[in-house]
Amino acid sequence: MGKLRFAIALAAAKLSVIALKITKRNGTNFPGVVAIRICPDFLKYINRPEKIIAVTGTNGKTTVSNLLRDVLAQAGKTVLNNGLGSNIASGIATCLISGVNIFNVEKYKAAVLEVDERSALRIFPYVKPDWMIVTNLSRDSIMRNAHPEYIRKILEDNIPPETKLILNADDLLSAGIAPKNERVYFGIEKMEGDAQESVNLINDMQICPRCHTKLKYEYVRYSSIGKAYCPNCDFRSPEYDYAAYNVDVRSMYMDIRTGDESEHFSLMNEGTFNIYNQVTVITAMHELGYSLSEIKGFMSKVDIVKTRYNVTECGDKTVTMLLSKDKNAYAGSRVFEYIASQPGDKEVILMMNCLGDVKHWSENTCWLYDCDFEFLNGHGIKHIIVTGPREKDYKLRLLMAGVPEDIISACETETDAPGLLRLFENDNIYILYGTDSIALAGKVKAGVIAAIGEEGTK
Amino acid sequence: MRVEVLFPEIANLYGELGNIRYLEKSVPDICVKETSVNEKPAFLDSDEESFDLVYLGTMSESSQLLVMEKLAPYREEIISSIENGQRILVTGNALEIFGKSISDDTGEKQQCLGIFDFHTERKMMNRFNSLYLGKYGDIDVAGYKSQFTHSFYDDSSLKPLFMTERGPGFNPEVKEEGIRYKNFMATYVIGPLFIINPPLMTAILKEAGVEAEPAFKDSAMDAYRSRIAEYSNPKTGFYY
Repeated sequence: MGKLRFAIALAAAKLSVIALKITKRNGTNFPGVVAIRICPDFLKYINRPEKIIAVTGTNGKTTVSNLLRDVLAQAGKTVLNNGLGSNIASGIATCLISGVNIFNVEKYKAAVLEVDERSALRIFPYVKPDWMIVTNLSRDSIMRNAHPEYIRKILEDNIPPETKLILNADDLLSAGIAPKNERVYFGIEKMEGDAQESVNLINDMQICPRCHTKLKYEYVRYSSIGKAYCPNCDFRSPEYDYAAYNVDVRSMYMDIRTGDESEHFSLMNEGTFNIYNQVTVITAMHELGYSLSEIKGFMSKVDIVKTRYNVTECGDKTVTMLLSKDKNAYAGSRVFEYIASQPGDKEVILMMNCLGDVKHWSENTCWLYDCDFEFLNGHGIKHIIVTGPREKDYKLRLLMAGVPEDIISACETETDAPGLLRLFENDNIYILYGTDSIALAGKVKAGVIAAIGEEGTK
Repeated sequence: MRVEVLFPEIANLYGELGNIRYLEKSVPDICVKETSVNEKPAFLDSDEESFDLVYLGTMSESSQLLVMEKLAPYREEIISSIENGQRILVTGNALEIFGKSISDDTGEKQQCLGIFDFHTERKMMNRFNSLYLGKYGDIDVAGYKSQFTHSFYDDSSLKPLFMTERGPGFNPEVKEEGIRYKNFMATYVIGPLFIINPPLMTAILKEAGVEAEPAFKDSAMDAYRSRIAEYSNPKTGFYY
């Protein structure tokens, strides 16, 4: 009965793919939804590639998954991948459906699957990865993900025992996951700018898990990302199997060492989180059997997708669009820290309100007080515009962060924000938008460019 | 004003330490002592100067176990301190530590400090998310709930901290929310409770004998009034 139901589900899903193409509708996981609706254990029956690499974690999984797919393509390996779809069970099903024909015959030899960490319990009972990359675990949506320990428990309860783990030694929240599984660790040795005390509001690894003494850090980058040790017992961060060292963001190079092998790599992006993403992919490729030298060659031909980062030059000014995942304090802090690190005078438009929440209820704003708005105090930031449904909450948060009231402007409607810009000479304008306000942010950007144009004609 | 924050290295979820930062900005000459989980709470130390407020915030489930283990030896001292009028505010799942037990849907049952006569039921695969609108006396209180648990009063004489106008109470079946016993205050309303409710903070400070204006009063009250109006609007959904 199960197999018959599966066959019907697969046929229906394949028909839905055709229907979507005919109607030119972009339903990213619709075929998977159809399949699982008809056959709830669809993932149990669908054939899959011989080798599966799963990528999960709170941050960076899309970037790592896409980059790994692209680097493998340079190595001549076309893999099944859900980069254009979703990462929950129905998205994984949709991806696997695209990898088989109507008779459930698999077309690919390998898959790189981005997996939503909370969906692990619906996916891993059936789809058992050979390797699983956990990029990191951090605070995310309070409503959905609660706290990182909760997500770690879900992963631990569902990671198959035979899966080899590729883990970030600099993130103790994920490094200790599923301790019985075979594993390798990657990390980045001490970098310029590292501290010994975290300055961030979020730091979920403050005490030793064994004796509860306050941990010390040989170096820490943000939150609890770094190399920790307990001053009271022998607990410490794992040693690196793959170590990045001599990381230099000015010359944009780093070295990677594993065993007796080492290689010089160009950095694909200067952001620390993207250096971690690159090191993650290098580790995964080496685990797949490629030498560091080969990986360097493949990597030189690909780029990190820049959809989340987009700069437009307008005369003496720049307009930068930055995705700042809504209701995600950790991601917001990284974006604020990045803006603070950039040179020049700046204006910032904050419009990361969750628009979906406005329709259904009201956004839970707890994340504002986990997020380091303090990075927006000073650092050349001369004017901040808060806009959208939660403008008053943003304003209060900025005041709490020490931002002077006279450099904060507010408007309820996002498209009014460009009219409030002060447009300094050589101004750098940043528009921070959430995952469901991409189109609206585009309108605001157009308004900003128009305002700059009008100012230029005065 | 002297404030003790218990175990901020683990009891710090959902921006709740923002409440302490807001107190620091609102109350002149405030002194905040942070007590780590390996230390005895200072408010139980007879050699310490007294504290006007002791605060314990939301934490992970494993941290709950650790805190219970660390506080268990001081159970009688905590009871005595509460009876003597120590002002304590606990938020989110921190309140469950002071009840009788936490039962999981797996059948496991964790004994708690048993200071107050209520019990907690937990469903780790069910996250209960809602907005909250209630009253602290005559004061409107708005906030958020996001939890795996509900608690149930086993002693009908237990008094709530808030009376619910919209959203769930201590559990979805009751209007009473939290616990108020003498100066012990507990609520499932999480996050920046004081920041989004300046009148509540002012009232609690006043009860503690501290006269203070909320920091950034105009902006804070503007945001507060907007939120109360939004949450009072029947068109605003309350459940995620």
